[in-house]
Amino acid sequence: MSYLSLILKNPFRNKTRSSLAIIGIAIGIATIVGLGLLTGGLKASTESTLKAGAAEITVVQANSGMGIVGSTGTIDESRVADIQELSGVKDVAGVLTTTYMDSNSSGGSFRSGQIFITGINSNKLNLANIESVNGTIFSNGNTNEIIMGKTASENLNKTVGDTINLFGTEFKITGTFESGNIMTDSGIFMSLDTLQSLTNKTGTVSTIYVKIADNANVTTVSKAIDNAYPNELSASSAAAQANRMNEALSTIDTATWAISLLAIFIGAVGVINTMIMSVYERTREIGVLKAVGWKERRILGMILGESIVLTLIAAVVGSILGIVAVTVGLMLISNVGSVITPVYSVDLFLRAFAVALFVGIIGGIYPAYRASRLPPTEALRYE
Amino acid sequence: MNNENIIEIKNLKKSYDHGKIKALNGIDLNVQKGEFVSIMGQSGSGKSTLLNMIGALDQADEGSIQVADKDLMKTKNLNEFRSKEIGFVFQMHNLIPNLTVLENVQIPMFERNLSSTEMDKRAKNLLKSVELEDRMNQTPNKLSGGERQRVAIARALVNHPSIILADEPTGSLDSKTGDVILNLIKDIHQKENVTLVMVTHEAYVANMADRTITVLDGKVQGDN
Repeated sequence: MSYLSLILKNPFRNKTRSSLAIIGIAIGIATIVGLGLLTGGLKASTESTLKAGAAEITVVQANSGMGIVGSTGTIDESRVADIQELSGVKDVAGVLTTTYMDSNSSGGSFRSGQIFITGINSNKLNLANIESVNGTIFSNGNTNEIIMGKTASENLNKTVGDTINLFGTEFKITGTFESGNIMTDSGIFMSLDTLQSLTNKTGTVSTIYVKIADNANVTTVSKAIDNAYPNELSASSAAAQANRMNEALSTIDTATWAISLLAIFIGAVGVINTMIMSVYERTREIGVLKAVGWKERRILGMILGESIVLTLIAAVVGSILGIVAVTVGLMLISNVGSVITPVYSVDLFLRAFAVALFVGIIGGIYPAYRASRLPPTEALRYE
Repeated sequence: MNNENIIEIKNLKKSYDHGKIKALNGIDLNVQKGEFVSIMGQSGSGKSTLLNMIGALDQADEGSIQVADKDLMKTKNLNEFRSKEIGFVFQMHNLIPNLTVLENVQIPMFERNLSSTEMDKRAKNLLKSVELEDRMNQTPNKLSGGERQRVAIARALVNHPSIILADEPTGSLDSKTGDVILNLIKDIHQKENVTLVMVTHEAYVANMADRTITVLDGKVQGDN
């Protein structure tokens, strides 16, 4: 028998007490892992909106409301060409966005049964953050072809070559894509002409995406658009939107840590209690270990090691619990589940294990110190 | 220190509770190498305190105590001293309940930097000598009282100590099992030529020793 195997064996002498301590800490670790997976997913999606190819500026009708998928206002399509002429503008794309209620589906998009549809010229897809398509891109003009985001494809159980009925018309899915943006990936893209025709909005768009020239400044171009069409158009930069999103995410992050710290504190108290009880019960045994020549630091190491074993097991259980809770939770809340993809990063699990190790050390140090300092004669007399 | 004496104690004093309880009140005692000495006395006479002093489990307030060439009033690393020189047999077996018999015997060897093969070999040999080799993979709760005490004796011997200190080793056993254990201890003492100091309050047990020291009120009252 080795010292390590003794340390691994001892925590299971009182299985019920150790299991309860493990569950206590595991809940804390599961909170860290679960919330980390979700915020990681949200962050990844936010970051993807800042990809090089995507538009930096979004132009909508001034004073218009914002729907889930984009602006609810309308802009005359001629403004697309007008904005292209402004200084510092490299490329523009007029897009029309709408939602379609799919009575046969449990939901491909943000809300159950709703599908986000965007009309855009196929050569402007990069401005919508779609860099590559698996299959072929839809043809421009009035065609019955669409491409579908990965999330929508999974949720609607449709893939390249399948057809889908939208507005009473059969559409062929020519391609699928993954942009990394939760909203984009939950939608369907078709030619602008087709969507305008289907929604009786010929000659109008709801949003204009603007990509600026390499040497241009986002704020300057945004202001130029606002100044050129006051009370008609309103420009906002993707960076500003992402910053707002990041601020919200950092608030979530802070809340995650606050919840985690509370869970850790409760877990640490549980570990201290478990280990102190264990040391009390084994007082005479510790006396024997001293009598046979064990050094104080070996006894300290044993009790501390047992505490760390408990918390590391809790880290494994908690990580699994966190993953299962997030997966099941997202499945049950389908309207959120369809748009959030948990991000499994090594960092997150390392953080969970580091926290567990920390709890193990903090929770074990006092009981271990007490045990190591027990006078052997008193320990041997303990009843 | 006399070359023949493995224990030399002079005017040893120990009190507890801020001097109110004088457990040892000037003990003088010499024990020769290989001797079997029993210490007798009533409850509270100081015999167990004396044993604890010899085993370096506690330190005296005054006097001098030399055991196996170590001045225990000055030695800093008493753990190492206990590990090398002393083997304890307690009244209660004090075995670790979740460890097997073999593992319990291996416990004292952790401080000796031995390979696991050597630890295994030593423990198995000792368990064979106390006739428990067929029980080595069982936990103590499966053993009888006598068997548990035999495991405790094996544990006390595993580091080849120069002195065995036994504190009423038959106190929790019936007389028949107690006799078996006493004979085993005496047998080991003779075979290994190890010094044996045994605390008892029973005269017939004390009579098995080469010498009987009687302690009363923290002082040696008789030495026969």
